[in-house]
Formats: sequence, C-alpha cells, structure tokens
Amino acid sequence: MADVTVVGQGIFLRGSIRGEGDVEIRGRIEGDIEVGGEVTIADGALVNADVTARRIVVRGAVAGNLTGEDGVRLEQGARVVGDLRGATIGVSEGALVRGNVQSGNAAGAERTRARTASAREAKPVARAAEARKPVAAPAPAAAAKGNGLPRRTATAAEERTGPPPPVVPALKKGARAALRKRSR
Amino acid sequence: MANTVIAQGITIEGELTSEEDVVIQGTLRGKLVSKDTVNVESGAIVEADIAASSLSVGGHVTGNVTASDRVDLMPGARLIGDVKASRLTIADGASFKGNVDMDV
Repeated sequence: MADVTVVGQGIFLRGSIRGEGDVEIRGRIEGDIEVGGEVTIADGALVNADVTARRIVVRGAVAGNLTGEDGVRLEQGARVVGDLRGATIGVSEGALVRGNVQSGNAAGAERTRARTASAREAKPVARAAEARKPVAAPAPAAAAKGNGLPRRTATAAEERTGPPPPVVPALKKGARAALRKRSR
Repeated sequence: MANTVIAQGITIEGELTSEEDVVIQGTLRGKLVSKDTVNVESGAIVEADIAASSLSVGGHVTGNVTASDRVDLMPGARLIGDVKASRLTIADGASFKGNVDMDV
C-alpha cells in the first residue's frame, strides 16, 4: 500500500528523516531530511531542514538547502530560503527563492568553483595553517591541509551539506597585509 | 487520506508530535506524542515512548506507552516497556514485558 511516507498536516517533527522511499511533507519539520527517493513538500508545509533526495518538488515553505540529485523543482506557492542544487533546477512562476542555485553536474561545477577559489587563497591559508594548529571543526580542518588537491575534494564533500562556514584562520603578522597586497 | 504514514524504508529519529492518526510501518526512534490514535504495524520498529489516545501495536515497541483510551497488542507484537492505559488487550501470540497501570 503505502510506499510513500506522508507527514500529515497536524504533525510537528523535530529530528531527522532518513531512508529509501518517497516522502510527502504536509506538516512541520525541523531537522534534516535525507532520503533516497522523491521528496514532495506540499502547500502549507513548513520545513526548517536541509533536504537531500533523488528529486525534490516544493510547493510549501522551506528554510534550508535543497539538494536533489535528479533535480529540484519549485512550483507556484513555493517559498524557499536556502541553496538549490541539482542536475536540473526548475523554478515555476510564482515561486519565491532566496539562495544560491547550482544546476548541472554537481561535481563538475564544484571543481571549477573550488579551483578558482583555492588558487587565490591556497598560499596564505597554507602558510597560516602551518603556523598554527588547525581549528577543531571539520571544514577548516580539511581546508587547513594547505595542499591545493586535497582541499578541492574536501570542499566538494562539504558542499553537499551546504556551504562550509567561513574559514577565518589567524594570520601571522604581516600576512594580512601580504594578502591585501596580493588580491589588489 | 490525510493521516500520517511512516513507510517501511524510512527511519525517523527525533520527537514527533501529532494532532492526527499516525501509522508506523518503518522505524521510529525518539518520542511520539499523538492526540489521536497510533498504529504500529507489523514490521515496524519503535524505540520511543508513545503517548496517544489509543494505541495498537503489531510490531516491535521498546518504550513506555501511555494511552488515554486503550492499548491493544496484536498477535506478533512485542512490547518492552510500561503501559499506562485504562483499557488493555494482549492478544494470544503477543509478547509483553513491563508494568501495567490501569488506574488512569
């Protein structure tokens, strides 16, 4: 009968939904959703969560990043604050979106973006990382390896769950001036 | 069909608060509070305290159960936890380990 999980309108879930299968959300969710099937966020739903699925169709309100492997579709009535990522992105007339949109092959796009970003920042970040111990957070710890190549793949892996928090390593004396001079 | 169904391949971890009927065929870990009925179907695994108006258990439930109306354990059900309900049925073939308080 039901291979579709339905989170009805009178539901409030604070936690995570994981697994295989399709999910239809009509209620309120706070947490995160990671499913192998299709996620439909119906009109009237309030989702305060990052959603990762094979395919995402939105008609309600979402505060969180949407990552749909096959595609993300925002129908009329959708209100999304968060990043959209998917093979194809569709935003219907009347849908509201605020965030970054990234369509196409996710791995390829991130490699290009990370390459340009890492080329600019690799040298000062590498020097700063060697000067002090890496911060105890997953994203800066991976980035503080300093080498261009591992940093690229680490960024791509982190990007799946959303943009990494801004890395602000403490710079050695004079490094900030050098950085400013370099980017000028 | 406006009721809530948690299908078989899905695992929910967290607190679920509902105003309507809930049918669980998958896995739920955490806490479930429903103002209406809760139906844990055969094959479902619930590791949570459940509060509902009435509860029907066909699968595995580990946790304390409170119902304002009734609790029914079906054949094949397995409940490990305390039951607080004014009416209770334990079918032949159901497995139950816990305390019962019917003085609600």
